[in-house]
Amino acid sequence: MAEKKAVGHAYNVDFLNVVFAASSIFLFLTTVWMVWSDFDREWKGTQRRFSQLQIEVTRAQLQQTEKSVNKTRLAQLEQQLAAAKKSEEDNKAKIDEIRGRLAEIDARLSRANQAATFAKATYDVDRYAFEVARDKKEANIEERQKKIEDEGRHVGDLNLAVDKITAERAGVAAELGKFTGAAAQIQKDLDALLFEQNRLQKQLDAIQPTVVNTYLLNAPLIDFMAPTLTIRQTVLPNVVDDVNFTKVPKMDRCTTCHLSIDSKGYEKYPQPYTTHPNLSVYLGSDSPHPLNKIGCTVCHQGMGGATSFIDAVHYPRDEKQREAWEKQYGWEQPHMWDFPMLPTQMTEASCEQCHRSEVYVPNAPALTLAYATYERGGCYACHKTRGFENLRKPGPILTKISSKVTPDWVKTWVRNPRAVKDVTWMPRIWYNSNSSSPQDAVRNEVEINAAVAYLFANAEDYQFPVASPPKGDAKSGEEIVRSIGCLGCHVLDEKDRTEAGPRRTFGQPLKNIGSKTTYTWLYNWVKDPKHYNPNTYMPNLRLTDAQVADVATFLTTLTGPTGMAAQATPTPEQADAVLLDYLRNVLPLTEAQNQLNKMDGNTRQLELGKRVIGRYGCYSCHEIKGFETTQPIGTELSEEGTKLVTRLDFAFAPINHSDKLGWFHQKLKDPRSFDAGRVLEPLEKLRMPDFGVSEVENERLQTAIMSFQRDIQPASAMPARTANRDYIVSGRALVRRQNCVGCHEIEGDGGEFRKLVAEPTLAPPLLTPEGAKVQPDWLYAFIQGPITIRPWLKVRMPTFGLDDARLNAVIRYFGATANSIGMFRTYDAKDLTAMAGPGHELFTLLKCQQCHVLGEIPKDQPTANLAPDLRMARERLQPDWIPQWLQSPLKIQPGTRMPMFWPDYPKSSFPQMDGNAEMQIRSIRDYLETLQGGPSPKKPGNAAISTN
Amino acid sequence: MDLIKSIFNRVADPRVYFLTMACMLALIVWKREKVATNAVGYGALGVFTLFFVLGGLDPNFRLIITKPDNVPIVGLIFLLVFFVWYSMKQAVLNDRRITKGEGPEEKAEADRVWVWPDLVYTELISLILCSVVLIVWSILLKAPLEQPANRAVTPNPSKAPWYFLGLQEMLVYFDPWLAGVVLPSLIIVGLIAIPYIDKNEKGNGYYTFNERKVEITLFLFGFVVLWCSLIVLGTFLRGPNWNFFGPFEYWDLHKLEALTNVNLSEYFWVRMLGQPLPSTRIAGPLGYLLRELPGLLLVLFYIGALPVILGRKLFRSYYEKLGAPRYYVGAFLFLMMMALPIKMLLRWIFNLKYIVGIPEIFFNI
Repeated sequence: MAEKKAVGHAYNVDFLNVVFAASSIFLFLTTVWMVWSDFDREWKGTQRRFSQLQIEVTRAQLQQTEKSVNKTRLAQLEQQLAAAKKSEEDNKAKIDEIRGRLAEIDARLSRANQAATFAKATYDVDRYAFEVARDKKEANIEERQKKIEDEGRHVGDLNLAVDKITAERAGVAAELGKFTGAAAQIQKDLDALLFEQNRLQKQLDAIQPTVVNTYLLNAPLIDFMAPTLTIRQTVLPNVVDDVNFTKVPKMDRCTTCHLSIDSKGYEKYPQPYTTHPNLSVYLGSDSPHPLNKIGCTVCHQGMGGATSFIDAVHYPRDEKQREAWEKQYGWEQPHMWDFPMLPTQMTEASCEQCHRSEVYVPNAPALTLAYATYERGGCYACHKTRGFENLRKPGPILTKISSKVTPDWVKTWVRNPRAVKDVTWMPRIWYNSNSSSPQDAVRNEVEINAAVAYLFANAEDYQFPVASPPKGDAKSGEEIVRSIGCLGCHVLDEKDRTEAGPRRTFGQPLKNIGSKTTYTWLYNWVKDPKHYNPNTYMPNLRLTDAQVADVATFLTTLTGPTGMAAQATPTPEQADAVLLDYLRNVLPLTEAQNQLNKMDGNTRQLELGKRVIGRYGCYSCHEIKGFETTQPIGTELSEEGTKLVTRLDFAFAPINHSDKLGWFHQKLKDPRSFDAGRVLEPLEKLRMPDFGVSEVENERLQTAIMSFQRDIQPASAMPARTANRDYIVSGRALVRRQNCVGCHEIEGDGGEFRKLVAEPTLAPPLLTPEGAKVQPDWLYAFIQGPITIRPWLKVRMPTFGLDDARLNAVIRYFGATANSIGMFRTYDAKDLTAMAGPGHELFTLLKCQQCHVLGEIPKDQPTANLAPDLRMARERLQPDWIPQWLQSPLKIQPGTRMPMFWPDYPKSSFPQMDGNAEMQIRSIRDYLETLQGGPSPKKPGNAAISTN
Repeated sequence: MDLIKSIFNRVADPRVYFLTMACMLALIVWKREKVATNAVGYGALGVFTLFFVLGGLDPNFRLIITKPDNVPIVGLIFLLVFFVWYSMKQAVLNDRRITKGEGPEEKAEADRVWVWPDLVYTELISLILCSVVLIVWSILLKAPLEQPANRAVTPNPSKAPWYFLGLQEMLVYFDPWLAGVVLPSLIIVGLIAIPYIDKNEKGNGYYTFNERKVEITLFLFGFVVLWCSLIVLGTFLRGPNWNFFGPFEYWDLHKLEALTNVNLSEYFWVRMLGQPLPSTRIAGPLGYLLRELPGLLLVLFYIGALPVILGRKLFRSYYEKLGAPRYYVGAFLFLMMMALPIKMLLRWIFNLKYIVGIPEIFFNI
C-alpha cells in the first residue's frame, strides 16, 4: 500500500475507505444482532405457543358452553324478541315522533348541564378568592360577599333547570318505554342466558391472531408500546424477599411462562402451560393461598424475578428429569443462587415459611410424614430443632436396663441393631463406613464393652411387681396382640420400616423381642408399663392377668436372628490404649498416663464407658444415669434449610459440591461417608450413627430439614392468630406425639391401624368430628378412664394416663376443629325432651333398636352392623349434633352403616308431623334425651368433672 | 498429560511464577536482539494460543478462563505479550539504525501529516471497531444474576475488580494501610513525578532501548512484572480463601495453607538471642518499641540511609547527573517500588511475616 500513499499522508486513503466501509457494515450487523438478541427471549416463544393453546382451549370451552345453553329457552326468547320487534315496527311513526322529542330534550339537557357545571366552577374559584380576601381583611368585603351569594343563587337556579329538564326527559322516556320496553327486557334476558357464551366469544375474538397483534405490536424496537407478548409479574406486599439489608415485597414473574397456572382447563397440557395440580388449596382466587397474595416463590423458592428456565433456578424432581433437562435446557447444578427451587415433592417444606409455629400443617401430607419420620428417627434428640423442644427422649430408658436385658444381648444389639430387628429406628453406631476396617474392630469392641459395662454398673435395681408370673397361652396371646390395637404403634410382620411408616414404628418393633428380654419383664411391662417407666408413651390396655400372661407368652415366642457377633477380642492393654487416647484428648499426655495408672481395671472400663457414651451421645436418646443434664451432641438444625451450601463440608464425597440437597441425601444415606479419603485420628472421625434410611425416608427427612428456615416472612403473611387456632396447632402436635393418629384418622391424616382391620365399622373411629359430637366433660372422663362403647369390637381404647394439661389440650383441640362455642353449654332439659312422645313413635318405626344397643346387644345382627348403646346419648353426645348426624351420617363418618333416613332432606318420606323432616329428626333426638342408665365413664363424686 | 498439567500447576506457584516473570523480563532485556524477530514474537503468541487452546480441554482451566469476568484478562495476556515484543522489536531496529548513524525510523518519515484523513478518519474507524467489539462482547458474555449481596456472607474468594488485583495481591505481603493506602498513593505520585525526575532528553517520539536502558527496564519491571503479572496471578491463580491454585487445579474450598510466618522481632530476640520478647517483660509502648527496635532500625535504614549510601556508591553517576533533589525523590520512589519484591522474597525465603509488627497500635510493616 505504501506506494499509493500520497505525500503528507500516513495512510492510503483508498484503503482507509475500504476499512471504513467494512467496519461500518460490521457495526450495522452487530447492531442488528444486538437488537435481535435483546428481542429474542425464551419466554416470548413460550407465550406465542401459549396463544395457540389458549385459542384451542377457549374454542373448546365455547363449544361446551354453546351445547349447555338451554335451547328451548333460547328459541323461546328469540321468538319473543322477534314478536316484540314486530310490534315496534307497527308503531314506527309514533316511536319516531317520541324519539325526535327525546333528542330535542337531550340537546337542551346537555346545554343546561354545561351551563350549571361551568357556573359552579366559576363560583368555586370566586368563593375561594373571597375566603382569602376575608381572611386578609381586605376592603369591600361586604360588597364581595353579596356578589358571591348572588353567584351561589345563580348556580342553584341553573341546577334547578337541569332537574326540570331531567324530569321532563324521564316522562318522555317512559312514554317510549311503553312501545320498546318489552323488546329491551327480552334482550336483557337473552344476554343473561348467553352471558358465558358471549364472554368466551369476546375473549376468543380478542386473542385471535391478527397482523397487528402478532407482528406489528411485537416487532423489534416497536414492542415497547403495547406488546401482546409481555412479562407478567405479581407483586406481593404480604410476602417478602430478604435482600440482606432490607426486605422487599416479592415480585414473581413465573406467570410469564406458566401462563395458565391459576386457570382451569389446561390440566392436560405439559409444563409450563399446565394448571396447578391443587387449585382449590393453592393459587385459586377462592383458595386460602390466592396467586395475587402468595405468589409462587415463597413456596417453590428459586429466583422469582427471572424469566428464563435456567435463571429461575428450576430444580429437577429426580435423576430422569435431571437428565432430560440437561439435554433440553443445558441445565446444570445451580451455584449462582443460594435457594434453588425445591424439587416438587419437597415443596411442602415451604409451608413452614408462614405456618411457623405449626409442627403439623393440614393439606401438607408430605410434610406431616416428613415430621413424623423426623420425630420417629429421634433426630431432634441430638439436633436441637425449633418446634421439637421439650419432647421425651425417643429411646427407652436405660436406668433399669439390668432387669430387662443381658449385657451380651446389648453388645450384639449395638453392633448392628438392624441385624436383630430389621425395622428398628435404633441406629448403628459402630462398624460404619468409617469404622469397619479390621483395625477398627478392636477399638469398636473395646468401646462397646466399656459402654455396656457403664450402663449395667449404673442401672438401678428394679423390683418386678409380679416376681414369678404364671405362663399363658401363646395362641390367644397372638390374637389379642393382633386385634386389640397393639399394631397401631408396634410392627409385627413388616420387613420394611418405610412400608410400616412412622406411625406404626412409634413403639419398639415386636419382632425378636422374645430373644431380647425375659418373660417376667414382658409380663410386668404389659400389665403396667408406667411402673417400669413412669414417662413412657406406652398406654395401659386394661388386660386381665390371664390376658397379660397370654400376651407375654406370645411375645416370648417371637425370636429371630441373633445379630452380629464380636469381631475381635481385645486385650486389656488394647482397652487401656483406647482409654488413654480419650484421656489424652482432654489432658496433657503425662497427666493422662498418671490418671490411667491410678485406676484399677474396673474403674478404667467404667471411665472409658462414660467417655464413649458421651462421645456418641447415647444419652441424647436414652435416659442414662450420669448424663441427666448433658447437652446433645448434634448441630442445631432449627435453620438448617437456610444454610448456605458453602457452609457444608463435602470433603471428598463423589457428589456435586454445589448440591445442598445432594449433601443432605449423602449425609442421611451414609452419615460417615464424608470421612472417606481423609486421614483422621479415631476421635476426629464423624460420629453420627447410621439409621439405614431408605430412599423414601431420606426424601422425607430432607423435606423436614429444608422446612427448617430462618424467619423471613412478616406477620402479615402468617395465618391470623386466634385462641382457637392456638388450640388447633397445639392439639395437632399433641395427637401426633401421643400417636393417636396411629389408630384414629384425624383431620384426614393417620389411622394406619384402620388399614389392618377388614371392616371399617370395626376399626377405631374417625375423630375429626369428635368435638362437635361428644360433650367435653364426657370426653374428659372417657380419656381418663375409657369405658366400652362397642363391646363387640376387638380393638380397644387404651388408658393413656394423660395429665390434665394434655387432656384439656385434646378437648380444646377437638372443640376448636369443630368450631364449637366452648366447653360450657346450658340446655333446658324441658326443651330437649319436648317432643319425646312422637319421637318414640318414629324411633320404633325406624327400627333403631335393630342395630343400636339399648341395654342389651341386638341378636341376629352381623357385628359390623352393631351400634353404640343409645342410653349413653344424653350424657355423651352434644344435643345439637344428633340432628346433624341423623340428617347425613355419611357426610360426618364416611363408611358408617348408619342408614340415611332422610335422603331428600328437608322433605321426608314419613307422614308423621306433617312430613316435616326437621321436626321428625328433632323428635327422635328428644326421645334419646329421655333414655337413661347407660354405661358412663364418669365416676360419681369426682369433683373435676362436675362442670355441667 | 497429567504430568504436564502438574508441571504447570507447580510453575504457577506465586514464588516460581513471580521469579519466572522477573527472569523473563531480564531475558527479554538481555537477549533483545534475539527477541526482536518475528519468529520470537509470533512464536510467543502461538505458544500462548496453544497453551490456552490445549489448556481449555481441562474443565477446571476452562471454567476459570471462560468466566465472563476473566475473559478480559485472557485478552490482556495476549496484548501484553504482543506490545512488549513489538516495542522491543522496534526499539532494537531503531537502535541498530542509530548505531549506524541513520537516526530512528520515525524521524525518517515526514514529520507532519494531515488532520483529515490521517487523524480524524482513523479515529473514526477505531471508534467504530471498538463499538463493534464492545457490542459483540456484551452480547456474548452476559453478566450473571446472583443472590442479593450480603455483607455478612461475602463471596469466597472476594476479588477486587481486575484492575485492582495487583493491589489485592500486595495485601498478602503488606498490611492494608501500606498496600491499600501508602503504596497506591505513591504509585500515583511517582507517575506524576517521572517527567520532573527524568532528565534524559533522548528517546522522545521514537522507539529505542539503548538510549533509555534503565528507564525502560524499570518501567517494564514496575508495570509488567509488578502490576500486570500480579493481575493475571490474582485472576487465574487465586481461589477460595485467597489460596493459591494452579491453572489446572480444582478450586477446593478446603485446601489448606500452613500459617508458619513469624516476625523479624522473633527472629532477632527469640531465635538469635534466645530470649523472650521484650514485650512479655515490659508492658506498654516501651516494651513493644524495644521489641521492634531491629525492624524499626532496618526500615529507617532502608528509607533514610540507603538512598544516601547508594548515591555515594552504586548510583553515584545518577546522583551527579540528576542533582540531589531529583536523585533523592527518584531513589525513594525506586526503593518503595522495590519494597514489594523484597518483602515477597523475605516472605518466601524466611517466612517473614512483618519487619515491624506492632499489633498493639495496628502498625505493621
